[in-house]
Amino acid sequence: MDILSLFVVVPVLTVLVLVFAKNLKQARVISLIGMAIQFAMSINLIFAYIKERATNTDIMVFTKDVVWFENFNIHYSIGVDAISVVMIALTSTVVLAGIFISWKIDDLAKEFFVSLIVLSSGVFGFFISTDLFTMFVFYEIAVIPMYLLIGIWGSGPKENSAMKLTLMLMGASAVLSVGILGIYFNSNADGGALTFNIFEIAQVHIPEAAQNLFFPFVFIGFAVIGALFPFHTWSPSGHASAPTAVSMLHAGVLMKLGGYGVFRIAMYLLPLGALNWTDFFLVLAAFGVIYGAFGATMQKDLKYVNAYASVSHLALVLFALLMINKTAWNGAIIQSLSHGLLTALFFALIGMVYGRTHTREIEKLGGLMKILPFIGAIYVITGLAYLGLPGFSGFVAEMSVFVGAFQHPDMFHRVLTIVVVSSIVVTAVYILRMVGKIMMGPLSNMEYAKLPKATWYEKTGLILLMIPVVIIGVMPLGLSEMLKASIQPFLERLL
Amino acid sequence: MDFSYTILIPLIPLALFIVLGIFSKKIPPSISGWIGSLGLGTSFVLSWYTAYTYFLEGKLNGVYQTFIYKNTWLNFTDKLHIDMGVLIDPISVMMLVVVSTISFMVHLYSRGYMKGDDGYTRFFSYLALFSFSMFGLVLATNLFQIYIFWELVGASSFLLIGYYYTKPSAVAAAKKAFIVTRFADLGFLIGILVVSYYAGTFDFQEINNLQGSIITNWAATSFMGLSVFTWGLILIYMGGIGKSAMLPFHIWLPDAMEGPTPVSALIHAATMVVAGVYLVARLFPVYYFVEDGFALQIVAYIGAISSLVAAVIAITQTDIKRVLAFSTMSQIGYMMLALGVSKYDGHEGLGFMASMFHLFTHAMFKALLFLGAGSVIHAIHSNEMGDMGGLRKYMPITHITFLIAALSIAGFPGFAGFFSKDEILAAAFENNMLIYISSVFVAGLTAFYMFRLYFGIFWGQEKQYKHTPHESPWSMTIPMIFLAFMSIAGGYFHFSEYVTADHIPFKSHLDLPLAAIATSVGLIGIILAFVFYKKENNLPERFAHAFGVFYKWTYHKFYFDELYIFITKKVLFGVVGFSAAWFDKYIVDASMVGIGNVTVSISNKIKGLQSGKFQDYAMSFIGGGVVIAMVIFYLWIN
Amino acid sequence: MNLESLLLMRSEIGLTAIIVLLIIFEIFTNKKQKAKIIPFALILLAINTILGFFPLNTGEIFGGMFRTNTLLHFFKTTLSLGVLILLLQSADWLKEKIVAENKATEFIILIISSLLGAYFMISAGDFLMFYIGLELTTLPVAALVAYETYKRISAEGAVKYILSSALASGTSLFGISLLYATTGTIYFDAMAEILTSSNLAILGFVFFFSGLAFKISLVPFHFWTADVYEGAPINVASYLSVISKGAAVVILMILLFTVFKPLMPAWNKIIYIVTIATMFTGNLFALRQQNMKRFLAYSSIAQAGFILLGLLSVDQLGTATVIYFVAIYIFSNLGAFGVVQAISSATNKENIDDYEGLYRTNPKLSLVMMLALFSLAGIPPLAGFFGKFFLYTAAASKGYYVMVFIAVVNATISLYYYLLVVRAMFLRKGNNPIPYFRSGNYMRLGLLIAAIGILVIGLYSPIYEYIYSFSNVFLN
Repeated sequence: MDILSLFVVVPVLTVLVLVFAKNLKQARVISLIGMAIQFAMSINLIFAYIKERATNTDIMVFTKDVVWFENFNIHYSIGVDAISVVMIALTSTVVLAGIFISWKIDDLAKEFFVSLIVLSSGVFGFFISTDLFTMFVFYEIAVIPMYLLIGIWGSGPKENSAMKLTLMLMGASAVLSVGILGIYFNSNADGGALTFNIFEIAQVHIPEAAQNLFFPFVFIGFAVIGALFPFHTWSPSGHASAPTAVSMLHAGVLMKLGGYGVFRIAMYLLPLGALNWTDFFLVLAAFGVIYGAFGATMQKDLKYVNAYASVSHLALVLFALLMINKTAWNGAIIQSLSHGLLTALFFALIGMVYGRTHTREIEKLGGLMKILPFIGAIYVITGLAYLGLPGFSGFVAEMSVFVGAFQHPDMFHRVLTIVVVSSIVVTAVYILRMVGKIMMGPLSNMEYAKLPKATWYEKTGLILLMIPVVIIGVMPLGLSEMLKASIQPFLERLL
Repeated sequence: MDFSYTILIPLIPLALFIVLGIFSKKIPPSISGWIGSLGLGTSFVLSWYTAYTYFLEGKLNGVYQTFIYKNTWLNFTDKLHIDMGVLIDPISVMMLVVVSTISFMVHLYSRGYMKGDDGYTRFFSYLALFSFSMFGLVLATNLFQIYIFWELVGASSFLLIGYYYTKPSAVAAAKKAFIVTRFADLGFLIGILVVSYYAGTFDFQEINNLQGSIITNWAATSFMGLSVFTWGLILIYMGGIGKSAMLPFHIWLPDAMEGPTPVSALIHAATMVVAGVYLVARLFPVYYFVEDGFALQIVAYIGAISSLVAAVIAITQTDIKRVLAFSTMSQIGYMMLALGVSKYDGHEGLGFMASMFHLFTHAMFKALLFLGAGSVIHAIHSNEMGDMGGLRKYMPITHITFLIAALSIAGFPGFAGFFSKDEILAAAFENNMLIYISSVFVAGLTAFYMFRLYFGIFWGQEKQYKHTPHESPWSMTIPMIFLAFMSIAGGYFHFSEYVTADHIPFKSHLDLPLAAIATSVGLIGIILAFVFYKKENNLPERFAHAFGVFYKWTYHKFYFDELYIFITKKVLFGVVGFSAAWFDKYIVDASMVGIGNVTVSISNKIKGLQSGKFQDYAMSFIGGGVVIAMVIFYLWIN
Repeated sequence: MNLESLLLMRSEIGLTAIIVLLIIFEIFTNKKQKAKIIPFALILLAINTILGFFPLNTGEIFGGMFRTNTLLHFFKTTLSLGVLILLLQSADWLKEKIVAENKATEFIILIISSLLGAYFMISAGDFLMFYIGLELTTLPVAALVAYETYKRISAEGAVKYILSSALASGTSLFGISLLYATTGTIYFDAMAEILTSSNLAILGFVFFFSGLAFKISLVPFHFWTADVYEGAPINVASYLSVISKGAAVVILMILLFTVFKPLMPAWNKIIYIVTIATMFTGNLFALRQQNMKRFLAYSSIAQAGFILLGLLSVDQLGTATVIYFVAIYIFSNLGAFGVVQAISSATNKENIDDYEGLYRTNPKLSLVMMLALFSLAGIPPLAGFFGKFFLYTAAASKGYYVMVFIAVVNATISLYYYLLVVRAMFLRKGNNPIPYFRSGNYMRLGLLIAAIGILVIGLYSPIYEYIYSFSNVFLN
């Protein structure tokens, strides 16, 4: 069994074992063990990758290729570059933290962990696969469990949110499938055989007309899960209704599939289409950044604030990708990481607050810092990190994006960049509004005075997420250099 | 000569912050206070030692050398990369001294002032964080490093203003300070982007290089009639305006007084608020040479206007800390205008020198004033002048030190403020008469409101104090005494020998006639204050009435806050934000949901088709067949 | 013609033998032993199915009236497996309800003879054999629909079915005669050579097509479906939706690819229109169904629409994919119908609302149902996904991207109503959920096989490759 396939196999085995779990205690222990192994593997993978990269100059390393459906030339082909490696690390971290956060899930515990882990296996599969079809399969595997996770364990209007989310995402993947078929049937443009393999297609010169036709399908297919305006509306309601761990996993990881897909497939396989469509989508993305930020300032529900913040921050990822510039792309990927960790932190914290006070309304909360010092402190730190304070991952990401995007020779693009940069002020406004209201100030409700302090598993979950945020923020050089090396071949396609 | 050890100066506070921050619950106050003071003490000693060695041996054939030690922190492009390191040159060394001195003194002072506060350790960890950030800022080697620490001082200022986080006003003030400066920093950031895009570097040495690309061909690319570099510099200065509380971004500074008084002394009087001045000084060559100092003109005028407006407002305020806050703003305005009117070479660069000189002396006496105010507040638990009076006999040390500081800021001959202010006025006189006149006027106002404060607190009618006021403990008075000493001695440094625009020392002399004018104006101010406030009388009210509306306006700080609140709350978030949210809910989301609803409604519409009658089925069967056939034939014919 | 050439009809003979044996059994058993017929029949059918997996050589007999080849043989085996599962699922129901009325044998015999009809229909070499087969598949089912004679709704369903099927076979007979008029032959091969796209031929084709379209329940020939499914016993509805539909699809495909090849430009326009109409109608009607049987009826209409996508590409890929999808569809639908059957025979509840909170009381059943529905919706890693995706691929391979887009839109709509059932079972707690019950072993086995099929057929690629290997037999 190769080092990568394990990332899919371990979750599957965990699920199989979980089936025999008798109660919550067993279920969570089993999942914890499984995901801890997964986490260890992902850390190991980083070092293994660095070691491998020293000698191996292929785009993808640890590659493996098994024929699956011969007639369609579908392969189970996998491999990773720096980008997928960090994404895998992110995923395993968030999932592990998610397990900790859902330590006390009361209803249908076993099923909860099963769905959660199935979802994660889909994500891992997506990040390792280098074959369009395989990737697509994993993508849908990652999406569908959301329906049950939100629908069963959610809160509020969970059924509608779950349905809206599932339909919009599956609709998107339906659109995507058209795009994928379009790519597939043009993959013999140079007279070769039809193929789903990304890197074989990358060698083919797909006719420009076809690229222009299919780029929007692929891009929108991924942009929907990346919550690009105006396809973002599934995310606020979805997040708001989802249980904590699911919001974490969803905003933290699942939404990253969008940017990743755009980077890996849309822009890499359809470069001409990308170049012809950038300006249009660029404006959308830039608008999304500001729009999401302003949307967040108006929300009353903590989860909604964070959801719109995610819309804004992920629009920044797409914005950076569309800028077609090494630094900006580097920033986009770091932003994906950083946002993944931070938004997961936020959802975890919101979950903890909600679990204690049973409300998420900003107006009803206040002065919790005094009662919940640990949660309060982390909340403030997360907030500062989220608004891009130096020393945390957010700053590195945003600055890379801004500086990179501003290197664009065209004035229009630079102006657009300035527009996007101005979002940092709005971000500061809604973050401080939220933190200032719920953590600081006088205690809003005397009953809160005896709320239980953070438990060991909650602390573990939070610290687990906080550590990489700080590491990236304090010493970004290694990461960014590692990523840049992997970005290069993808960038060259567009130059 | 090796100054690489100066990296320790920021690193020590950083270590302190981490230790105190993580174990803030574990470490008992008694220890944490000492740890903090000890750490900063070390930085203090190191800084003075650095200054000593640098100013003695830092010259190479008459020019102060620049020493840089740096490592790459993050690569953007091959040309644009963020370095982290230390840059040792006259102004950074001078700033090291200022920051470390004040910070050390404030640490000592806080041990007494904060005694018994339940967040004692947390407070010291914040102080350490701030000191670290401030050192990092002054030692920055490039635009991005300074921006990074710029943000960090902003954050630590946020934490310290909001230190009493259960107090709504404190939280509000903290948010206000952060957001206003954040907005200004947006300009700073864009400025950095613009400059770096055209200059292809963040590095101060390359930007300031007289033979460098910017200064030699700034005219190459212009935008809307001005050189892009001018735009960049103006935007960068915007950051400075924010941090240094110049008009129109000054509104956060008075509210920032919600923070503990030592914090006001450290951050909002002596160090962080002069960052703007330091930024311009740091980039002085570019400011001076690009577009013949167009941007520098703006610096000058904004400085002058701010100093005047602030001085006027200060007269009418009754909260002693707010008076001091506006005084700070006004004094920083001085520094700005001094920079603004300065030239580059030799004695021409008097303004630059004067500005740095005043920065130094001001840090000393303004910190002292705040500490004194703190000591008074500590004694009678109120900020309002109305609650004070006749305190001189209860707190002699505070009284004397405060008096020294007041004389110093009023520019009384022989005190530090006298010398630095005189240089500024001289520079203004040489270059811009208008600004000179306003500065002289401001000098008078300064003397007046400062002594209004002094008399109001220490003389005049005694109030009914709940418990008799007492002098503060030694832990607080010792730093005050030291600063009092500095507020006098500070003036006798020959700054022009050390800190100059072109790093070449020159001899500066006291310009007697100008000094005479300034002093006399100052004296007039003092005398007026004496007349008004030495004893309780109804003069102030009479004058207030005489000025009527103008008084009201000044009392309400010219309604700047109200204006901003209207713009942000009503316009920006009331209109833009609200409409965005509305649009999202009722247009975007609705349309997405709409697609679904339409489908369902269609399915409801067509349910009639399934009638359940076989006749209809047969009908559709045959009909369908025929229709299909006809369609085909139709398609067939075409 | 010699004896071993008769062996080409091995499966048909096998089925006939089973029928005969069952009749004998029926005669020589007393009332008490009647229950034994079920295991007996199951074993026989199982044997026949297993025999089906042994290869059979290609050839034709009766002067080309009957022909067989690997494709047909494989498909027959699939059908026989389907019927086996179906009988497993009905076994318990038969035991309880039918044995009492002493009609179990008829039920089984009728089903098997209908299957025999299907066999002959797809093996037909000329229109005569085809027509006989068609009728033989249809008529026994008409009897089955009305099997629960005491139910008024069943009777209604039966009448509707018999009438519509009469209409259908009448129409297609008319079509055949028109074709005969143009070509003067009823042999497929011969006709394929002579047939030209004359208006008469097209008209003939259209009528012939509508006959088959009725069995596949394509729009606008589908109206009977919901009523009949609702009226019929569930397993009969299930039989209609999988076996007879499957058989009809395959023969339609074969005829389109062989006999009507000359008319291709005409018929692929027809297919194009009908596909769109069928998908939309099926989905839009399914949206608001409450009764599970009607619900599945419309879902199966929509599915038929998807199957037609495969016909648009007249090549090996299309053929293989259609066979593949039909096989998957048989398993998925049997899974769904099986659960409905189990629940209804235990509680007589057939409405979606009744399923609320089912997972908490009967997790296994709900899981099978979810698998089946997700497979129908085309969610990976279940077989349905691969089937659908390959159908899209088949259509796209000939550049029908618009059609593919319409199809994916429909797939999304269908996901919505499949999720409605999942929602009822998993998300809702339900005020009075169906209490736990233990369904009989036959049923469990039937569902298990179906579930395994759903899980395996997709992921295990050799199956598709095997089908693909012989899918060119009708293309020359």
